[in-house]
Amino acid sequence: MNILEVKNLNMSYKTIDGEVEAVKDVSFTVKEGESFGIVGESGCGKTSVAMSLLQLQADNGKITNGEIIFDGTNIVGLSESELREVRWSGISIVFQGAMNSWNPVVKIGEQIREAMREHYPDKTKEENTTKILELFGIVGLDSSVIDRFPHELSGGMKQRAVIALALSCDPKLIIADEPTTALDVVIQDQILNEIRKVQEVLGLSLIYISHDIAVIAEMTDNMAVMYAGRIVERGPTKEIFANPRHSYTKSLLESTPSVVGDKVKLKSLEGEPPSLINKESGCSFAPRCPYREDSCNPSLDMELVEIGTDHYVDICSAGKS
Amino acid sequence: MYKYIFKRVYQLIIVFFLFLITSYVLFDSIPGNAFQNLLLNPDLPPEAYEQVIKLYGLDKPLSERVFLYVQNFLQGDFGYSYKHYPKTPIELISQRLPRTLMLFAMVNIIAFYTGFLIGKILAWRRGSKSETWITVTSVFSYTIFYPWFALMMLWFFGYKLDWLPIGKFLYPEKWYDAPFDSDVVFVSMIKFTAIVSIVQIIVYIYTRNIESLSMRRNVRFASFIIIALASLFYWNNGELLIQKPYAMDIAYHMILPIFTVTVVAFAGTALLTRTTMMEVMKDDFILTARAKGLSQKRIRDRHAARNALLPVVTSFIFTIVTIIDGSVLTETIFSWPGMGQLILQSVLEEDIPVAMASFSFIGIFALVAHFIADISYAYLDPRIRIQSQG
Amino acid sequence: MNNQKNIAKEIRRKAIKKNWRLFRRSKLGMIGLYIVIFFLFLTILQPILFITGVWNKGVYDPVVGYSEQFQEFLVVECPKEYPTEKYDERSDCPGRTEVNIKTLFYSDAQVGETIIQNLQPAPPSRQHILGTDSLGRDVFSQIMEGSQVAFVLGLLSATLGVGISTILGTIAAFFGGRIDAYLMRQSDLILMLPTLPLLFIISAFAELKIWHLAVVLGTIGGLGGSVITIKSQALQVKVKPFVDSARITGGSRMNILFSHVLPNVAPLALLFMVFSVTGAIASESVLSFLGLLNIDMSWGLMIYLAQVEGFIFSGMKFWWLILPAGLSVTFLTGGFYLVGRGLDEVFNPRLRDR
Repeated sequence: MNILEVKNLNMSYKTIDGEVEAVKDVSFTVKEGESFGIVGESGCGKTSVAMSLLQLQADNGKITNGEIIFDGTNIVGLSESELREVRWSGISIVFQGAMNSWNPVVKIGEQIREAMREHYPDKTKEENTTKILELFGIVGLDSSVIDRFPHELSGGMKQRAVIALALSCDPKLIIADEPTTALDVVIQDQILNEIRKVQEVLGLSLIYISHDIAVIAEMTDNMAVMYAGRIVERGPTKEIFANPRHSYTKSLLESTPSVVGDKVKLKSLEGEPPSLINKESGCSFAPRCPYREDSCNPSLDMELVEIGTDHYVDICSAGKS
Repeated sequence: MYKYIFKRVYQLIIVFFLFLITSYVLFDSIPGNAFQNLLLNPDLPPEAYEQVIKLYGLDKPLSERVFLYVQNFLQGDFGYSYKHYPKTPIELISQRLPRTLMLFAMVNIIAFYTGFLIGKILAWRRGSKSETWITVTSVFSYTIFYPWFALMMLWFFGYKLDWLPIGKFLYPEKWYDAPFDSDVVFVSMIKFTAIVSIVQIIVYIYTRNIESLSMRRNVRFASFIIIALASLFYWNNGELLIQKPYAMDIAYHMILPIFTVTVVAFAGTALLTRTTMMEVMKDDFILTARAKGLSQKRIRDRHAARNALLPVVTSFIFTIVTIIDGSVLTETIFSWPGMGQLILQSVLEEDIPVAMASFSFIGIFALVAHFIADISYAYLDPRIRIQSQG
Repeated sequence: MNNQKNIAKEIRRKAIKKNWRLFRRSKLGMIGLYIVIFFLFLTILQPILFITGVWNKGVYDPVVGYSEQFQEFLVVECPKEYPTEKYDERSDCPGRTEVNIKTLFYSDAQVGETIIQNLQPAPPSRQHILGTDSLGRDVFSQIMEGSQVAFVLGLLSATLGVGISTILGTIAAFFGGRIDAYLMRQSDLILMLPTLPLLFIISAFAELKIWHLAVVLGTIGGLGGSVITIKSQALQVKVKPFVDSARITGGSRMNILFSHVLPNVAPLALLFMVFSVTGAIASESVLSFLGLLNIDMSWGLMIYLAQVEGFIFSGMKFWWLILPAGLSVTFLTGGFYLVGRGLDEVFNPRLRDR
């Protein structure tokens, strides 16, 4: 059962300097209970994808094309009030830098209850509080946190509280956008364990977004690699790690230092991601591609081609051979 | 923390003394004195003038007078008014103060509330067409040339339409048989307003604990109705019943000044709220609130506006401080005999004791308010406390 | 070394261009700018008209000009009771083209005759776009003169005030300790004095012309509350890491003050300056309105004259004496305020539209 199907999603932002195409022709599916990862460097469009899923993009962003089918319904084009019902009780999100997700003048418990009040208007305060305490148990927070203000908590505690907040309305799908980037490694490990535990216990689907490929490897069943707004490779995580086909994916995996073995000079990618303002068709990675051959023609159209079970690669017509 | 407070208090006292001395010197530098009119009277022999001057000690050199004044001040002796002898400045101030307070307390409350509301809505509708022209209108409302505007209002509502009285705060004819002074009525009006406000605030704070939002709104509305009924009851009983028609007379005279000043005053709060809200709106937790599925109105009111409240309330406190200074113009134009007019008159007539007393009053008022604001800043931001010794 | 300076200049120029682009995107700022430019135009227009001879100084000078306009008036006698068949209210008699016989002292004319009299104040006509006041002076010329006064006064006192408060505020933030305490108390002292009565007192013993008033307003404003605000801004800059690194690399205190702290305080100071202009213009208008100043002609003075001569309550009959001056003050101060808002959007990215 597919909980989420994204088909040909296109989103762009209007800026002073022009129209920025942040998401180009992105398609993927997430099954119930599955954990799906999206990896890519900063600015590749992964956060924009996350925002579009909840229609939370900034005022100057617009979905120009595509469908997002959540639990059978296309949520692109829904009215604001219909969207508000989907938000949080259908899909919830843990933001990057979630520490700032809290309103500094309102208590934590009240902020969580507020979400619950919106989606479960008939529950009493006691029922809500009991549920919050349950959630705190799952994420590992003390019950006293309910009456605390955000500035009284440490970074890790705030992060756990955000996860509890995301779970508060029993969503079917959670999006985690780099939830551990701002934390130290020890806490990062704890939080990742919490998320995995939560997912198993509650049977949720998870979309995990990160630029850290190691975390993706650990956390996800299926994944997609994004570059310059497009998905360049998509498939089961194990398969992609064993058999990367796109040059970008290969470069990404190669640049991860290995803890074992001899000390080698780090391989890195030269150059910068292309500007997303000028719509260029064709291979956007060609300028930086270290595997470029003479037969490579960057202006040819790209499409996703299946090369293994469920394993898709973004390839130009020349590369199909 | 306590050392800080102590230091500040001790500095405050020094400043206050400097203030007293500065004020006295300023008053003295105005050419002439309060009794010059005596010289105009041809029947009075010149010695009479000299005698009066001597009697009031105005022939002594400046430094001696300043010293004497400060000495007397510390003993609580503020002298007698030169022009309204034998009234003391304290009597005059206590007579005039309630009138000013009544007027400007109402104005500030209404202006603050409407200003906050409008600023909140303006910031939320950022970028829309209506936002631009409403903001521009607010700006012009803020910078409108006040005396001109007040005169226009007087002319329009008072003269042309004859709806509202042109100045003064009561109709003398109606008060001929009054068994008491206007001051008594003012005091009871102020008491009433204060009680109502406090009750309303208590209700507001108390109902914050109610979970369901529609319940909360209903309770608050019900309390408002109850307060309205209670006030009717309050004013129709006993002694207040007799005062009622006089209070109504005063209230009737208050309408135009309150309206005029509010038009100018609300704009300041509205613009400040708008700016602050616009900054708050860019914060991350607003995005989270949207993600939670809350309605726009709720996000605006319970998240953005609550955070924008802090600077606005601070500015409100500072506005209270400048009440009397601001009232000078209004009271002059509307002939409303309050503190502002008192200060102006005493300065013009060189009634030094009254002028000094009024200035001292304002000075103390300002110092205390700034002091409280300072302390709360230091409490909230330790960095400022450590960095500055002041 | 030369190259470095050129690079710095280039960066500065680009920054100014970018700021200008940002300012242009602010609707409020642009509206304000147009208004200010309009009044600036008026300011310059008057001397040009005089110099080029289009306007005869004898007639159009705002203070001493005189324009004769004669018109026929019908002599009437105003009844005691109203309304009558000819007039609705007391203020309707005498009408615009009539004159009450009781006010005629130098003529033997009888009721029903027409006499020729000098029409002052005259309503707008082709010669006088906004009419003349009761002394025969062209109102439009007065407006332009008032505009000159407003700009000179406003800019002068604002510059002075902001200059003082910036220097004092930065010194207070930077040196701390006793100096800071003293400056803060001094601000407190100024803040304690009520502004309007203070200006009254000053006007009583000093003759206040434009320059004097500008200095007074500037000093009072500069020494007052703005010192505290600039000081807190400078404090925020002071704790930023780059100041510490500047100290460590051996920058002298003065150097740090000028090349690091001041540029960061400058936006706030600029904002203050724009808002100070509005305060200065308003103060001058109020003081003129109360008759306390010795300025030859300003907008506040125009309204003062209108009130003293009793034209305010005549309502719309003599609107050109009342409306242009009041509206000018409102709009010019509003214009400066809007420019200030626009600058706010330039300096504070959170306030921008996108």
